[in-house]
Amino acid sequence: MWAYQKRLQYPINIKNKDLRMAKLLVTQYGGSNGELAAALRYLNQRYTMPDNKGKALLTDIGTEELAHIEMISTMVYQLMKDATIEEIKAAGLDPHYAEHNKALYPTDANGVPFTVTYFATTGDPLADISEDMAAEQKARAVYENLIDLTDDPDVLGPLLWLRQREVVHFNRFKELFEYYQGKMKNPTNMDASTQLKSTSMKNNNIMDSISDGLSNMNQFLNNFNTKM
Amino acid sequence: MYNYNDYLSNQYFRNTTPNMMNNNQPNLYTPEEGYNKGNLFANLYLGYKNYKPVKLQANNEKDALFLELSRYAFAAHELNLYLDLHPEDTTMLALFNDYRTRANQLMMNYENKYGPLTVSSDELSSSFLWEEDKWPWEGGKR
Repeated sequence: MWAYQKRLQYPINIKNKDLRMAKLLVTQYGGSNGELAAALRYLNQRYTMPDNKGKALLTDIGTEELAHIEMISTMVYQLMKDATIEEIKAAGLDPHYAEHNKALYPTDANGVPFTVTYFATTGDPLADISEDMAAEQKARAVYENLIDLTDDPDVLGPLLWLRQREVVHFNRFKELFEYYQGKMKNPTNMDASTQLKSTSMKNNNIMDSISDGLSNMNQFLNNFNTKM
Repeated sequence: MYNYNDYLSNQYFRNTTPNMMNNNQPNLYTPEEGYNKGNLFANLYLGYKNYKPVKLQANNEKDALFLELSRYAFAAHELNLYLDLHPEDTTMLALFNDYRTRANQLMMNYENKYGPLTVSSDELSSSFLWEEDKWPWEGGKR
């Protein structure tokens, strides 16, 4: 289960309304690379991770993404809340107002509603974690696009902070990927640090890593459970 | 936006070299600096253009306590993610427990003075203060 804390993970206090930015920012809530997709992706993938490292990391990062949904939603809410009807029309947000008034709703920057087809679960840890690494990079790139589109320091601060979280999460997922990939290469050697070191030195190219990992999948499946 | 040469030349993927995976101690920021940056791990930090992280400051005693709570809770969370992958790292476990304990103490102090942040708080025993203070999205310092 989850327990709510009545606080944001990072403070948000936007003083100036900005409907244009609200319209753009909402994509990090309900867009294809947004926080809602991230949370649902990790919290659905975690059940079929092969060991407790994967279950723990996907649970904890998935939970943090819920806090990021709250941050993005807070930013959109604060940017919109004092807007007049005329301002909403001028910003092209009248379709949103027609459906939702000023309520939150997960869409991308074009107003396209969120869909679960933005993420996948395959039951294959290498495939799932590869997607997670890509998702963090794409979210980082979108945060950079959004940072390029504003000069309000009240908006920039949280965007820079959220972008940095994508960098951290990417590196954690990459570590997990290489750990599983190392296990598949040599399931009899359970020294994780040795495995990870040799994997990293041999495979700087991620596509090689994926390919090598897949070719060892059967061996992995046969050996994994008994070695945990 | 970066161009491709920047990715190569500014060591965009330098953090994927296995310096953390040899079980060398990662180079950590303080909870204050790490919270400002959104990253406790100096070897993972990656800035964007010339933007600098905001140096968060408190204007009064309530904000100061809240900011301190946020810093230690964040530092503990960062070590939580690290320990998920390195549960055998006793040095980092000790630091996690230090930050976790301080975050819990700061949370109790804050709730005692300013009202509950969780609905399991002891501060709800005499009256239902859960609805009293502002909600996080309503602005102010949180």
